[in-house]
This record gives sequence, structure tokens and C-alpha cells, in this order.
Amino acid sequence: MKKNSKETSLRVGFDVGGTFTDGVLMSGKNVLAKTKAITTGDVTTGIVNALDQLLKSTMADKSRIEMVSLGTTHTTNAIIERRNLNKVGIIRLGAPATTAIPPLTGWPEDLKEAISGPQNVFILRGGSEYDGRDIVPLDEKAIAAACRKMKGKITSLAIIGVFSPIITDHEDRAARIAREILGDEVHITLSNRIASISILERENSTILNASVIGVMRQAVNSLRTAVKDRGINTRLFIVQNDGSVMSADYAVDYPIFTMASGPAASVRGAVYLSGIDNGVVVDIGGTSTDVAYIVNGFPRESSITVTIGGVKTNIRCPDLLSIALGGGTIIKQKDGRVCALGPESVGYNLVRLAKSFGGPLLTVHDLAVANGTLQERLDVFDTDFVADLEKVKQVPEAVIRQGETMVRQTLEAAIDKMKTTAELVPAIFIGGGALVVPRKGIGGISEIVLPEHFEVGGAIGTTIAEIGAFAEGVFDLDQDDRDESIARTIEQAKDNAELSGAVRSTVEVIDIEEIPFTYMPGKREKVRVRVKGSIFKEGH
Amino acid sequence: MAVWDVIRQWKLQEKDYQVIDHQAIREITLGASILATGGGGDPEIGLLWTYKVLDEGKPIVMVDPMKVPDDVLVASMACLGAALVLTEKPPSEGVLNRAIVKLETYLGAKLQATIPIECGGVNSPVAYAAAGELGVPVIDVDGMNRAFPELQMTSWVTHGIHASPTVSADDRGNVTVIDTGSDDLLAETICRQVAMAYGGISWIATYPMYGKAVKDTSILYSQSIAWAVGKAVWEAREKHLNPVDQVIKSLRNERSVEGFKVFKGKIVDIHREFGSETTKGFTLGRITMEGFDSDKGRTAMLDFQNEWLNLVVDGRVRCMPPDLIAILDSETGEPIRTDIMKYGYRGTILLIPAHERMRTAKGIQIFGPRHFGYDLDYQPVEKLNKDVERRGA
Repeated sequence: MKKNSKETSLRVGFDVGGTFTDGVLMSGKNVLAKTKAITTGDVTTGIVNALDQLLKSTMADKSRIEMVSLGTTHTTNAIIERRNLNKVGIIRLGAPATTAIPPLTGWPEDLKEAISGPQNVFILRGGSEYDGRDIVPLDEKAIAAACRKMKGKITSLAIIGVFSPIITDHEDRAARIAREILGDEVHITLSNRIASISILERENSTILNASVIGVMRQAVNSLRTAVKDRGINTRLFIVQNDGSVMSADYAVDYPIFTMASGPAASVRGAVYLSGIDNGVVVDIGGTSTDVAYIVNGFPRESSITVTIGGVKTNIRCPDLLSIALGGGTIIKQKDGRVCALGPESVGYNLVRLAKSFGGPLLTVHDLAVANGTLQERLDVFDTDFVADLEKVKQVPEAVIRQGETMVRQTLEAAIDKMKTTAELVPAIFIGGGALVVPRKGIGGISEIVLPEHFEVGGAIGTTIAEIGAFAEGVFDLDQDDRDESIARTIEQAKDNAELSGAVRSTVEVIDIEEIPFTYMPGKREKVRVRVKGSIFKEGH
Repeated sequence: MAVWDVIRQWKLQEKDYQVIDHQAIREITLGASILATGGGGDPEIGLLWTYKVLDEGKPIVMVDPMKVPDDVLVASMACLGAALVLTEKPPSEGVLNRAIVKLETYLGAKLQATIPIECGGVNSPVAYAAAGELGVPVIDVDGMNRAFPELQMTSWVTHGIHASPTVSADDRGNVTVIDTGSDDLLAETICRQVAMAYGGISWIATYPMYGKAVKDTSILYSQSIAWAVGKAVWEAREKHLNPVDQVIKSLRNERSVEGFKVFKGKIVDIHREFGSETTKGFTLGRITMEGFDSDKGRTAMLDFQNEWLNLVVDGRVRCMPPDLIAILDSETGEPIRTDIMKYGYRGTILLIPAHERMRTAKGIQIFGPRHFGYDLDYQPVEKLNKDVERRGA
């Protein structure tokens, strides 16, 4: 463990996984302490336990902690388990259009019930056309009447207007009316803040966001109290889907942005630890491997719809390729030759079933033991295993070699699928299985980097003080100047970054995407800008 | 009128029709999206609409085209306009009905069935939803057995049937009658402008024709073909089989044609450009794919105008319109569409011969390579891929 230098401040990060909650105490890139606590049903207790273990294991000066952040599964769990969800009112502004497909169409019945949705759905006159015209004038009286009807029955309200990502006006006006009637105790989510064009998916995302407001508030409040009780006075941050963080104050309004928190944090941790901004991250677990492609430090986004709790959303998540290869993957043999890799894995039973622990099955892990790459004890498996080399020695060398070749080819093929350039790119290997796969002779990559502390990469990833944000606009290039349109969208994205906790002067553009409208005359296109900025002014 | 009255009136037996349930429309739409050649739009809205019609207890029935009486009036219902606008502004209840009623008034006769216009994520299920709402059957045909960007690009037009009159409706209650006689290109131009004035999309009732014309000019059993393709992919997902191979097999069984699995790779470059004809404004461009696995080292280039048009692999033309190009996700079989594709998408390119009724001399003239600006004589995909056939699927 390295000594903490006096000048640098400290950051605490947590990564909540299915089994373990990892925690780290960082001084810059130095890991002062790391820990694994069992993830608890309420999630929060596990985090607090990890925090206590961290504080116990180090003499760090608490007053120098300037950031506590976490990648969390609070909201995902609540939606999947239909637990503690808000009672949600839903106002769609789009009539007379859109009525053939009302809100909540296609939702699982139990989830609809859990948010008391069906009783509180209104499709009212309003919304915009793509070019900014009203479909019809906004029916303010109907909005007021709907709100009076829902008063006392809902704790959270979702407002969704047709083409609101382009023109927010109708949603804004509806929100003002709702606020006046429903008061401050009912939270309001506007769809234009949640996602982009494609109303049904955006509507679903907005309703889901509205349904986990209470869960996120509760989580943030109890963590804040826990942190304060331990004498730490600092800001709290939460990892969002692209791997950047947002302030907890912002996250309580946008909990849906934390759905892919975990895998995103791992990718960012890998980037941070390795110092590599462009390449592939290969996260190798016990049963599967996730490959992500990183561009300028962030995972490339997937634009395929993401299903959460049985509901289709258009929340942006990282593009991950999952393959069935991990430390525990079983190597199948036939007539003394390797015939297949998996897809089955011994998973958690590695120490009982794998050959190098005296078990009956040959796994990817055993290959590493056989060829001598694995010698050190691995605390990532949380076990004091003693390798039983006798059993491994009985495996013919040809089988070991064939197995290794197959693992190498599988990794090479997966990496190749994610690459969008023929050039060699660096690969960062992280995760519990990173040490057991061959790291030589894999084509398509310039080098393999295995950063220190790779097994808590996710927790470390949460401590990177970078805020991410985006904005979208639709322009007609026959009328609007292209550069001006893009500049306007950039300013909007910067506003959003500032809102989620960034210092404006540090905000820079990550990428600009232009998508033309199909089947439409003219030169209309959608512009989407992603930006990042720092939480701190400079020198961090 | 209920659909069962029509079935009874036409004296249909049980083998002459099929009842469409949730799973059936799911499979038909999936198959249609694959045959849509990269276009056709997002299936979600049409599907949800059809589910709603079914959930309201309105039956949807698909009938054998050869059992349809010669003298009954039918028409096609579709969404015409910008796919992106539709994803943001789903239809209102009754919008198609208004178009239908107006068309019936104009013609002075009642419609007794719907005919899907194309295979596409939007317009395939829309024809079923409309039929269910109206209480009439869907006929197992369409006008393309693929998707095309323009109204007049159908086997109906190439066999002498016209898109006029067309009624175009919007959600506010506006209706426009377009009657251009035999000038189908003009009908397309006016319809497109009307859609723009409405706010980007329109709901049309078009191609009114009699049962006899349906039999003589449609792509017969187009719905069954889409259904077989969709079923094959569904089954492949459940049994973890290769979806592309299953699609090829289903086409062999259903249409007795061979599909060609010509390339497996990922998108490494997308070049989008706006059409020179700003009044048309289609999504034009080209993508480059780099091969992986057995295609490592090869390069594929595809041009698109809403749909995929043309495929060139390592400098050699492999497919021209109207033959079909599908890029399918190698694991799920989900088609990769031109409006949602991105860098890094991974897929297998499958080529499918166009239906015989799309390959007539007039068809090649209206939607062959020269119509789309290629200085190429049409050559069927079977001829362009003789070597691939030997590689076998």
C-alpha cells in the first residue's frame, strides 16, 4: 500500500455488484485502501459496510476526502423487483394524434400495478410537429383538470410531449400548471430531459424514471447521512450510463441514468488505470467476458433499445459484446483433443470442480496453472486455494496448447468484432479472469495492458471526476446554418453538463453526430452532441 | 360488418384462411422487416397498434388470395412519410378509418379487404391493424415482397393497376383525395407533399382494385413468405440455431429460391449525403463493411436510398435492385436498418432474389439499377453469385 502524499486530496468510490460491493480509497491514481463487502438486499447497508472497512484499514485524514461516488444497482433492482416504486401519473401531450397507442401499452401487468399507472393516464391535446408548429394548441384547462383528479393519488408525475426533444415549450407549460396544483411533494419528470426522439421508448423511460424517484432519494439521503456521521463532509456523486458521474443532487431527479452504472464504471476504471483513451476493454469474469470499444475515454454507445424490467426504453447504454468465456469456462475434449470451449462454466464452483483444485473438469483457469502463468494467490477469488498440480500435470500438453489456442482465437474474434478500424489498437484486460487467459499471440491488438488493481477497476472508475452530458436538436439545413446549429446544440449540452455538476470552463465536446431524416423532402437532420467536463476547477 | 360475415359471404373453408394472433403478427412483422431490405421503418408502433386491436377482441384473419371473389373491392392502407416522424408521432385511433370512408365515398362502394402495400416494419402490421379495425380480412399478398421508397414501385403498377385514387388523412381530421389517373409518379409526388404539409407523415388508403386484379398483379402469398421467414428466426433464437441459415431454409421451402450468404462483417464507415433532388430528399449514402471470421480481409460496400440498393464486395457487384439485400445481426437475426445503423454494427449480408412479378421488363425499368442512377444492366442475383452458391448455405 502506498503512502498518501500530503498535497493530494482523497476520493472514495464504490461499485455495487451482484455479489460484492467493492470500495476503494484513492489518492489520485494511488489506491490507499480497497475492500469487498457482501452486497445487501437494500444495497445501502453493503455500501456503508464497505465504507467502514475502508476507513478502518487506513489512517487517512477524513477531512481531505473531497468526493464520494458510487456505481449502483438501487434503481435497477427496484424496477426488476417492483419494490418501493412511486405512484406515477402520466400526461401525454399529443392528442388528437397518438391515441391509437396509449401509454403503458405492452407493459408487464405487475409493473403497471406497482406504479398504479392505468388509473392515472391522460392523453391530452398538445405536442409539436417536427418543424416546431403545434399539432394543436396546448389544452391547459385539461391539464389542470387531470392534475386535480390525480391529486393525492400520485407521488410522481411523468409528462411526455410529442417532439419535446426539439421544442420543450408544451412540456414546460404543462409542468408549471401541474406544479401549481400538485405542489412540491409530487415530483415531475419531463421527457425532454430523459431521452431523445421515439416517443414510446422515451415515454417508457420517463415513466420508469418517475417510478424510482423515491428509491433514489432514499438511497442518497441515507448515504449522505452515513457519510456525514463518519465525519466526512463532501459531495456525493453517482455513475451514469456512459461511465461519467453526476452529482447526487442531479441523480435524484434522473435516477434512470444509472441503469448501466456498473459495467460503465468498469470500462472507465480500465481507461483511468491504464491511461489508454482509445482501444478495447476486455472485462473477463468467471463465466463471461464483456468487450467494450472505447473512444476518447468513453465506451461506444449502443443505439439498440434497452429493455428494463420488461419495458423497452431508449436510454443510452454502452455497446458491450458478451461472449461465453471466463476463468471457469469448461474445456471440452473428445478422443484426446479439445473440441469446444464452453459455453458452460463452473462459475462459483471453480474451487470444487476445476482440475487444479483437484476437481474433475478442465477449465480455462487450469490452463493458466498448467503453463505456470498463475502462481500467485488471487484474492479476487476470495479463497485460499492451493493448486493441485498433480491433476493438472496429467493433462496432455497437446490439450493444454489446443485449449490456449482456442481461448486466444475466441478473444481475438470478439475484439475484432468490436473494432471499427483495421489498425492495431491497445487492449486493456480487467476482471477476475484477466490473469488466466493467454496474453500473447492475440492478433489485431498492439499490446495488452493489465493495470494494477484491475479487480476493483469498477470502484476506481467511479472516482474519476468527469461529468458527462448531451443535447439534441433538429435543424433544416435549407434554412438554418449548419455550423450555427451545431454551435447552439453544443451550448445546450454544456448547460446540461453544468446542471449535472460540471464546472463550465472545463466542459469539452466528446462527439457530434448528425442523422438525416428519412423519407422527407428538404435537408433536415438531427444533431446530437456529447460533452464531458470536470467537477473541479483545475489541477484535478 | 364483422370479418366472419365476409368469410361466410365468400364461402371460405377453414383451409382458406388463418386467424392472426399476437405471436403470428410478431412473426409476420419480423419476417417483413427482414424482407424490407434495410428500410420499412421501426416495427414497434405497427405491432403495438395491432396488439391493441387484438386486445380489444377484434379478430384479424388472413385469407388465401385465390379464394377472393373477382368482383370485391379491396385497397391498401399504409403510412407514407418520414419514418422518424412516425416514431415520435404515433397514429390516432380512427385515422385510417377516415381515409377509408372517404375512399369509399369517392368510389361509391365498400371495401371488403385490405392488401398490405409492402414488406416493412411499419406497413406490414398497419394493414393488419386496419383490417381488424374495419372488420374485413387481410389478403395474403402485397405489392413488392420487399420495401421500396416510393408509392409507384409496386407489381401492381408494373402490371397495369394504378395508385389512384389515393386518400391521405392526418390526425386532425384532414383528408385529401389524390386522383392522377394513370400517372403514378405524379400520385407519389403529390402524396409526399401532402404528407409534408400534414407534419411529416400521412395515413393513406390507396390502390383500390378488384379481387381479379389482386390475383393477376400482386405478389401472391407474400404474407406467408414473411411469416415463414419470421418463424424461422424466432425458432432459431429459441433453439440457438444460426438465424441466417434458418432464413435461407425458410425461403427454400416457401418460395423455392436460394438466398446467398455473401459476407460477414462490421460497419467501419458510413457516408451519408443528401440527395441532389432536395424535393425528394431520401436518405442517400454508402456504407463500408470490413469482413471478419471467414471473410476477414474482404470489403463490402453498400449504397442506400432508404433501402439498401446495391452491393459490391471486393470490387465486384453482387446485387442490384430489385433483388433484396438484408444485413442481419448474426446472433439474433434482427435486421440492421439504414435509419438506425451505426459504426461498429456487426452482421451477415444475405441476398434474396426478388419475386418473379418484380422482375418483369417494366419492373426493371421502374425500379431496376438504371432508375436509381446506376449505369448497369440488371443482372439477377443468382447470376452474380454463382460462385457463392457452390460454397453453399
